[in-house]
Formats: sequence, structure tokens, C-alpha cells
Amino acid sequence: MSTHILKRLLDRLRDGGSPVRTDGGTAAAGSETAGGDSDLGSALSSLRESDAVRSAPFWLPPFLLMGFFVYGAISWNIVISLTDFGGLTLPTYDPSTFDLEMYRRAFSDGQFWIATRNTFVLLISFTGLSLAGGLGLAILVDRGIRFENWFRTVYLLPFSLSFVVTAVFWRWMYNFDSGLINAFLRGIGLDFVASKWLTGSIDTGALGAIPLVPDTFYFKLFAVIFALLWQFSGYAMVVYLAGLRAIPNDQYEAARVDGASILRMYRRVILPQLRASTVSAAVVLMVFALKAFDFLYVLFGSNPGPTADILSTMMYRQAFSANEWAYGSAIAVVLFVVALTVVAPYLYGEYRRGEL
Amino acid sequence: MTDTPNSDDVSRRTYLKLAGGAGTATFLAGCTGGGGESTTESTESSGDSESTEETSGDDSDSSTEYNALEVQHWWTGGDGGAAVQALFEGFEEQHPDIELTENPVAGGAGQNLRAVIKKRILNNDPPSSWQAWPGANLQPFTDADKLEDIEESVWDHNDMKNTYLDGPQEAAQPAGNYVSVPLNIHRLNNLFYNVEVVEDAGVDPASIDSPSALVDAMATVDEAGYVGMAQQTNSAWSTGQLWAQVLLGEYGADVYADVTAGNVEANADAVRDSLDIVKQYSEYYPNDAGSISWQDANSKIIEGDAAFFHQGDWAAGMYRGQDGFEYESNWDHVPFPGTEGLYSLNMDSFPMPTNNPSPEATKAFLRYVGSVDAQERFNPKKGSIPPRTDVPQDAFGPFLQNQMDDFSNSEAQPLSIQHGLAVAPDALTAFEDAMASFISNYDVEAAYSAVQSAFQ
Repeated sequence: MSTHILKRLLDRLRDGGSPVRTDGGTAAAGSETAGGDSDLGSALSSLRESDAVRSAPFWLPPFLLMGFFVYGAISWNIVISLTDFGGLTLPTYDPSTFDLEMYRRAFSDGQFWIATRNTFVLLISFTGLSLAGGLGLAILVDRGIRFENWFRTVYLLPFSLSFVVTAVFWRWMYNFDSGLINAFLRGIGLDFVASKWLTGSIDTGALGAIPLVPDTFYFKLFAVIFALLWQFSGYAMVVYLAGLRAIPNDQYEAARVDGASILRMYRRVILPQLRASTVSAAVVLMVFALKAFDFLYVLFGSNPGPTADILSTMMYRQAFSANEWAYGSAIAVVLFVVALTVVAPYLYGEYRRGEL
Repeated sequence: MTDTPNSDDVSRRTYLKLAGGAGTATFLAGCTGGGGESTTESTESSGDSESTEETSGDDSDSSTEYNALEVQHWWTGGDGGAAVQALFEGFEEQHPDIELTENPVAGGAGQNLRAVIKKRILNNDPPSSWQAWPGANLQPFTDADKLEDIEESVWDHNDMKNTYLDGPQEAAQPAGNYVSVPLNIHRLNNLFYNVEVVEDAGVDPASIDSPSALVDAMATVDEAGYVGMAQQTNSAWSTGQLWAQVLLGEYGADVYADVTAGNVEANADAVRDSLDIVKQYSEYYPNDAGSISWQDANSKIIEGDAAFFHQGDWAAGMYRGQDGFEYESNWDHVPFPGTEGLYSLNMDSFPMPTNNPSPEATKAFLRYVGSVDAQERFNPKKGSIPPRTDVPQDAFGPFLQNQMDDFSNSEAQPLSIQHGLAVAPDALTAFEDAMASFISNYDVEAAYSAVQSAFQ
């Protein structure tokens, strides 16, 4: 609701610049042309009459609360990142001492770049694979299979579990000796595939010569991604399923009458209409990926090591273990900017289309 | 989520600006004291307490009245929980006039409590005392001048200075003066083993005289079909502990102290070589080392799958809880190879913060923590040994009695790295980063430079 009002407010601000109102009829338009002493009075009364003011009791409290607790905290964090706050002495918050030292430190810190790389690998592969998996499941469930509801529930169930729970049992699943994954692989005769999923690696050999391909490929981060995938593709499935259900049956029939194969029908007719579902699921998944902190923390403690360290675990370590509050804040700001780059295009796109 | 108790951060800060730090503290102390009065009882003494507070002010010797004592700790369950309750009972018996509030913060091996304490210290609203690793771990507090000198008020009592050995006393003085009282000691230079397994493999643990010789012993054990060393590499701290003992055992306490003091480059060969020995150990870890906890690893000793286990002596608590798995007949202990005569310390202590809400009560509590009675109550339950050397041994089991003898006869008590005694928190975090990288690739050279930059 409040977003709706904000949009109106924005419209009003944008229109307020032009003296002549083409839509006419409002008091505001009248007073702007009038002038003189009555100007102030009518402006006040028009202000009192305006939607924004009259609806203030509804949007103002949440606006202030959000402003203070969310945006206030973010701004405060940015301020701290400009100080050199460390240890147990409060900084002076003197603007003349503010500098970008902590950012410089981050950009010259090898660990920071490793964490950034891992963050992006996690972000991109987790989101991409979750969407693909979710779409596949959604299409299967949507084909009118038996026990449809049952399957839907099964796929969605992991999503309802806490990260803490899933992290603990994935650690058991990945156990080399007794874990379910290796037990399964050995059971079907694939002993040679059974691996130390959390510590192991394979040499990429000749592939290592290709740019961006590392010489040694560590499983750790991908073990994490796989576990998250299991947990979140159900969510992507539900979003896609809703999108599929919104497509009228006529279109399936029309495609079939036109002689399109199933593959072609989905590729040309159905998938293009799932754009909105894809975007909204992707944004949610990406934000979850950035917040994978709790999963990693339960799995490995505050230090997952360079093969799975992400910005949020590094931020936590620097702030709460090392007492480097300012440095931790600077990493948090970087993380915030990354999150913003993920969400902003989506919000802007929705806004442009008038859906916000 | 751990922050909830102090989520009124900003308002408190604003309030502090208005009221001034000292005033707020008195006010808060008065509040807690007053709350206690109304809920508990209305004896004459508690009725007086407010007036005493107002009139006596700084005049401490006239105060037979105490403000309520708030002690924070992370011993919320298991051995630690039972031990700290025994400690508090003993204190209340001796000081029925002091109202004691414990305010435990569970989880994260103390990480959650440390976060709470830091926030309270920054807000100038410390508890009376809290559970803290002594030594360099307290450096941020002493740097910011947040701890009080308690030499005269605590350490000069109860014959403490004569009964604490040098190592624990050093740890109580991170900045050269006494600010904290160690309560217990867990030894770190242990090598536990399953008696049957080593006998079957034909290895005599007592004859292994150096960390590098342990590699050969593990190779022999491995050939006999057992896991050489039950180690976990799911998180890095066990490896941090292990490397420190290897350095200590192979190169001695002086090199160890020099390295932790920051002279890594001067001891480059020692550091590299000890890292390399740990790398050799890693060949004899269980296959699932990467996905188990230290308890899971220890179970491999109990079940007879593995021969050796390095861990702090809290690991013996698991053996104690296991029926039919007895000291000396089923499991046994030697000092980590090469560290005989040394007692590597991991301790918990209670410091005295400045701006204390209950200065006199805190001093009474800290004096009690440093007493024979407190340490005799706490340590047998916790499975640790008392830092005082004059505590009677009767209450302790045979294993801890042996540890106490080792401690009394030890020539040096090196401070732990992994548990914050020897290095400050920022260095410890960097060290853990180094170890986390090390266990993922066992790159000795990279680990060396990471350790070097962590300690400098």
C-alpha cells in the first residue's frame, strides 16, 4: 500500500515542476496561477487537502520506522566505515577525520577479493541453477501428473526448513564414510565418484589453461551451492507454477493445433510469458544467496576458509572476532552495494512498467 | 539475534550523552539493586542499601552493603553449567549478603557473549564481571583502559601470588598489572590414545619423543588398519591448536613464545617445519575429517577406530561419560610428544571492568574466584584443573590428579594461541584465517606468510 502512495508522491513531485497543469481542475493548479497574499493560505489549504497529507496517518508511521531502523542503520554503518573504529574505544565521529582508508584496505586485501569472487560464484550459479531446476519441476508438475499436490509439497518442503537444520544434515550427507551421498554412489557402483565433498578437490589438468578456470577445483563451495539448490529450487518451482497457471489453456491448444512440438511450444509460447516470474524469483534467490551466511556459519563456523568464504562471513569475522568494526562496516557497505545492484534494476523495471 | 538484550543501543547512547557516563552507571546500579529489594525480601539491610549508596559515595571501606552483582558467562549446559552453578552456590554460602545475578549468553564457544560484552563496554554499561579468556585476549580492554587494577584488592588476598604459577599470573596481567582472576586451566598439549589400538599396532606412545616422530608412529598405526590421528578439519581451530603444540614440542617453549610475540621471521624455519609436520599428520586423518566435529573425532578413539587424538583435556570429559571406557586400561594420555615438563594453558578468568556497577561486590566475588574453595568446587565438575597449586586433590578423578601433578611440576606454562591467551583478537582472527586456508590446501609456504603477517 505504502509503495502505491509513494508512487503518487513521486508523480506529484515530478508534475509539481510545471506551472501549467494540463489535467486541470485541482486546487493546486488554481492557486499557482493566482498569486498575491491569498497564495499562502490557499497553498496551505491545498496542502491540507492533498492526498499525501490526508493519508499521512497511514504511510507516515511505517515510513518513519523504516527510515530510522533500516535506512538509519545503513547510513550509520556507512559513517562507521569512514572512521577507523577498532577495539574498544569509540571513534570521535569528527567529519574531518573521515576517509576511505577502510575501502582502500579492502581493495588491497587478497582475502577480500577471494570472498568477493566466491560471493559472485555463489550468487550466479545458485540463482541460475535454482531457476533452471525450479522451471523444470514446475513444468513437470504442470503437465497434469498424478499426485500433483503431493509432489508440489515434497518439492517445497525443504524451503520451509531453517538454514540451521539443513546445514547440519547436509554436513552429515557429505560425510565421506557414512554420508548418504557417498553411500548412494557406492551402492550403484560409482565408488570412484565418491569424494570428500567438503574438503576435496580435483585437478582440472589441461582445462586449467583456459582463463577463469582454476588449476585446482575445490568442491566446498559447490557442495554448499548444491545444498542451497535443494532447499530453494522448490521456491522457484512455486513461482513458476503460478506463472504457468496464469497462462490460458487456449494458448496451449492453439500451439498444439498449429502443430508445434512440446519443446517448441514451451520455448516459443510459454517461456516468453514467464519473464515476470523469472525476474521476481531471481531477485529473491539472489538476495538469499547474499545472505547465505547462516548456512555457512552453521556448517563451518565463522571461517569457512578461502574456498567458501563469502563477504558476509568475512564481514562478521572482521567486526565481531577481530574487533575491526570500521573494516567490517566497509565490507558491509560493499555487500550492500552488491545487493543494491541486484535489486535496483528490478525495482526500476517494475517502476517503469507501472507495476510498482 | 544475540544482540537482542542490547537492541536499545542508540537510545542508550543518546541517553549517555545527556546524563554522563558515571551518572548513568550509578543510576543503573541503583535500579538493579532496587529491583532486587522489591522482589526478594524486605530485610533491614536491603532497606538501607539505597541510603548507603547515596551517602557513602566513594568511601568504600564503610560499605558493608553491596550492590547486586551481575556475572555473565557462557557455561549454560553440560560440564560447564554444573561447574559454574557449584561455584555460585559456594559464593552465596560465603556471601549471603550479596545478591548474585547470573546472566548467561549461550553459544558459539563464547563468541556470542564476547559480542555482548564488547557492546556493553562500548556503551559504558559493563556487568560486574564476566567469563573471559585472560592474557592477550583482554588487550583491547586494557588498551581502552576498561579494566581495573585488582592487585591490591584481590591478588594480595588468599595467598594468591604464591599459589599461582608464573604462566597463569602472566596471563592475568595482559598489560603488566593484574586485571583478571583465572579460575580454571584446560591443558592443550595432550595426546590421547586408545590403549588397545596402540598395543595392537605395536606402538609405545611414551617413547615418541618429538612431533616428527609421531608421524612414524601414525604410519605404523595406519599399516595396522587404524586411523592415525582422529582430527576434525571441518573448522580450523583444532588445526590451530595442533600446530601450536607441534611448534612447542619440536622447538621448545622459548621459540614458541618468541613466535607468538611476533618474531615469526626470526624463526622462519621452525614455523615452516612445524607446518610441514602438521601437513604430514593430515595424511593420517580420518577420511571424513572435513565433515565431523571434535566430538565425532573423539568417538573414533572411544570406538577403537583411531589411535591418537590431540585436543584440550576437555576431551577426557567424553571418556568419563562413557561406561566401560576407563582411564589407563582403555584410554590413556601422554603430554604431546616433545612437550614433557610443559603445561600449555587454556584458561577462563573473571576480569574487573572500570565503571563497575558493584565495585565492592565484584572484588568479593573475584577474591572468591581466586580461593581454594571456589576452585575446588568448580574444577572437578568442569574437568579442568585449578590454577592454584594448593587445592586438595581428593575431589578430582585420577586423570585430573595426574594433570595437577604435571602442572605443579611443570617448568613452563606456555599460553595458548587458539584460545586467545598469547595473541590479541585481531591477530587470532588472522591466524584462524591462515589455518582455514591451510586445511583447504596444505600449502606450507602460503600458510607461513599468513602466520607471519598475522603475528607481526
